Amino acid sequence: MEALLDQTTMTSSAGPGPVLKVENVAVAYKVRGGEILAVQNVSFEINRGESHGIVGESGCGKSTVAWAIVNFLGANGYVKHGSIKFLGQELVGKSGEELRRLRGDQIAMVYQDPMQALNPSMRLGDQMKEVLTVHRGMSDADATKRCIEMLERVHMPDAANVMKRYPHQISGGQQQRVVIAMALLNNPAMLIMDEPTTALDVTVEAAVLDLIGELRREFDTAIMYITHNLGVVARVCTQVGVMYAGEMVERGQVAQIFKAPQHPYTQGLMRCVPKLGADKASSLLYPIIGRVPPPDSRPLGCVFGPRCDYAQDRCGEEHPRLRMLPSGVQVRCHFAEEIDPAQWTPPPELELPPEPVGTGNGNGNGAGEEPILVVEGLKKYYTAASNSLKGMFGMGEKRYVKVVEDVSFTVKKGKTLGVVGESGCGKSTLIKTIIGLEESTGGEMRFLGFDITGDLSSRNKRLIQELQMVFQNPDSTMNPAYSVGQQIARPMIRFGTVPKRQVRDEVIRLLQAMRLGEAYYDRLPRQLSGGEKQRVGIARALASRPDLVLCDEPVSALDVSVQAAILNLLLDVQHEFETTMIFIAHDLSVVRFFSDDVAVMYLGQVMEIGPADAIYAPPYHPYTEALLSAVPIPDPAAKQKVIRLEGSVPSAMNPPSGCRFHTRCPRRHLLPDDGAICAQEIPPWQEGEDGHRIFCHIPLETLRTLDPVITQ
Amino acid sequence: MLVRDCMTRHPILISPKTPAAEAQRIMAENRIRHLPVAGSGKRLLGLITRQRLAMKPDDLASLNVWEITRRLSNLIAEKIMLPAARVRTIEPEKTVERAASLMTDYRIGCLPVMEENVVVGIITETDLLRAFQVMLGIQGEGVRVTVNMPDKRGEFAKLMRVIVDRNWGVVGVGTFPNARRDGYYFAVVKISNVTLDEVRDAIGGIESQEITDIRTIV
Repeated sequence: MEALLDQTTMTSSAGPGPVLKVENVAVAYKVRGGEILAVQNVSFEINRGESHGIVGESGCGKSTVAWAIVNFLGANGYVKHGSIKFLGQELVGKSGEELRRLRGDQIAMVYQDPMQALNPSMRLGDQMKEVLTVHRGMSDADATKRCIEMLERVHMPDAANVMKRYPHQISGGQQQRVVIAMALLNNPAMLIMDEPTTALDVTVEAAVLDLIGELRREFDTAIMYITHNLGVVARVCTQVGVMYAGEMVERGQVAQIFKAPQHPYTQGLMRCVPKLGADKASSLLYPIIGRVPPPDSRPLGCVFGPRCDYAQDRCGEEHPRLRMLPSGVQVRCHFAEEIDPAQWTPPPELELPPEPVGTGNGNGNGAGEEPILVVEGLKKYYTAASNSLKGMFGMGEKRYVKVVEDVSFTVKKGKTLGVVGESGCGKSTLIKTIIGLEESTGGEMRFLGFDITGDLSSRNKRLIQELQMVFQNPDSTMNPAYSVGQQIARPMIRFGTVPKRQVRDEVIRLLQAMRLGEAYYDRLPRQLSGGEKQRVGIARALASRPDLVLCDEPVSALDVSVQAAILNLLLDVQHEFETTMIFIAHDLSVVRFFSDDVAVMYLGQVMEIGPADAIYAPPYHPYTEALLSAVPIPDPAAKQKVIRLEGSVPSAMNPPSGCRFHTRCPRRHLLPDDGAICAQEIPPWQEGEDGHRIFCHIPLETLRTLDPVITQ
Repeated sequence: MLVRDCMTRHPILISPKTPAAEAQRIMAENRIRHLPVAGSGKRLLGLITRQRLAMKPDDLASLNVWEITRRLSNLIAEKIMLPAARVRTIEPEKTVERAASLMTDYRIGCLPVMEENVVVGIITETDLLRAFQVMLGIQGEGVRVTVNMPDKRGEFAKLMRVIVDRNWGVVGVGTFPNARRDGYYFAVVKISNVTLDEVRDAIGGIESQEITDIRTIV
């Protein structure tokens, strides 16, 4: 037997055992009056050079599993049963000292916020070197050399100089690179990444994801990748496990799971994600009804049972086991073989957007409608404090940060304009200027014919009432001491849109329109979930019956299933109240799903504007093309061009001359002299069809010949 | 092929204080025969092999059952390992043949792969056997042909020219001296997307060379 075993190891090409093997793990937290089982029945393994994704909504126990591996569960958390084997050695029950050594030498972690992993008071070089000098006793000079090598390995520009800087002196994407480089300094066998790119821009995210894939192959590191973004999983992972309410409900090869998800929850997740598909109709979103049950009130039978469209009696009584299907996918469902997602029809109680009227995307039927908002050559400059002595006395030359420069567009009644771009491109400032939180520096803005270039103090109440805003983070925009009803009633009373006696009825009507119901009237914000808070935020924005609602990333802080519900709700609201919207998002698939027209911004300027369909197909502005190629697509089979922008967005203090994008433009070589003209002259607006305009020197005919970024 | 291309990265390491019984269990469970012992920062301290775990019966014969138990429970990796000073190691930038010759010369089954006294991998007989298979192209489909040729300049080129002229793809190649005939070499070439007859016709016609073996199933 012994000899036989040895032979099998020799002929198998997989090498010796998995790096990490998690078997039937349950994690519990001790609380007053008992304990809460946060995670149970989780099993998976990761081999060398493999990248294993863990996906699920928030509160499903993804991070808890990662913490259990490194024993970061806190004082009251512990692994209740099961085994976690790392390189063949049991981690559960290991002493603190042994675990510390393992963490230092063999397991590295990268978290969502790089700023929390870096010490703000130490130079980056010193922090990085510490890893080597303390753990390995390397000499300072050797450590410096190795750190610089590693920084170059993660494509950090000017690595030697970065070593001398402090964390706040480099951008978020660069910080995350430093953290990744630091994690790899000790050549760990396993890297745990918990949402490492969630806080980053799409273009930076794309570069970091490329880097992770490269490093995995080069260092043979096993990667555990925790994320809620299915697109990211499709891009970097080989295996994926789907978690729901503390359990692993499905696990298998990424290609298989994306092609044919077996568990109803996985199928539901896939239906929640807007796709950058060929046509808008295919990107209908179907949110999953209900929400993840808290750990102390999980159902007895199948945990997903109460939200499942296929639930039968058996699901409520018997807890399904994780079983292997013939395809090699493991699934925790009694009826996986019988469920055909193609036959799925949305249940009647689901919030679906109304049927689009006419063509639904603004071309054709928009001609006769009057524009509600006309923006012409809008400028917004901030004055920057000068460092010179003269400047201190207000005598020096004033310097300006040109945040919004020469932006023009019109929004027609009942339509939605989507605004996309990297962070720092002036999206939010644009909105703030429109709504009047900032005074514009130059240009014209007319809303329903009224001039709105001034800030709020120069506007009358009627005008303020007509322009409302939905914010990204509902938490920080709601008064925690006011009940939901009071929050929504306030604008109604203030603007007198509703007679005082009818306010309560009107609030309840709005709550019902938000699918919240009367019971929410007296609740406080802390008693609501993230999605519910955002619904209240939307209700409050609509309370004064505005003509124009400005949405600043209203769904980017929400889970995919909630995101789908909110997007559908917004579409519904728009249909019912005929509200016009300006919608900011950094997620291009969300914008495509939601908008009639799209404006792409870069460094304060609009680079391309036009009907949504035109933006997502050639001719593209080179910047739009790069953005599209960076979006992670939740379909491993889709082919996407690889265009990566180098460097980060230049400072708006002294933007590049000519075309502001010329320093990073990957298409400059299409012009004679390697695009010498781009650095010298401001590009012309080139008109395409249906009001599609591109701000570029490259002729439309040339741009039109480029291949589409995404081919299915 | 260099050591870094075929070594096993991130080998299982144990600390010097690990009980010998635990080391034995780790080796058995993971079906490995060599277990490097490393201290903080993955610095090599020693190596445990199956022989190191074998107890000499004579040592134990004089002890009673309690003494045996006590002795075993005090036995930790540090005490039974081959100390680092006596462990043969190799660097990732060395060639596989150098690794193989070290292992045959010293009759050992593994070499820890070191980068400045830090263990970055391990190369064992199994890894070398795998490298051997890869070099001869076991993974690819094709015709494997062995040609006997004189040990002269330009002979191998003749064989290659035939392959190049037909635009065939080579998935594996190797040479070794003909033990039975001085001054002659065997060349083994594996060619993809061809039939046996095509290869026989093309290579059989080469002057002063002869096919000694040809097959599709390795």
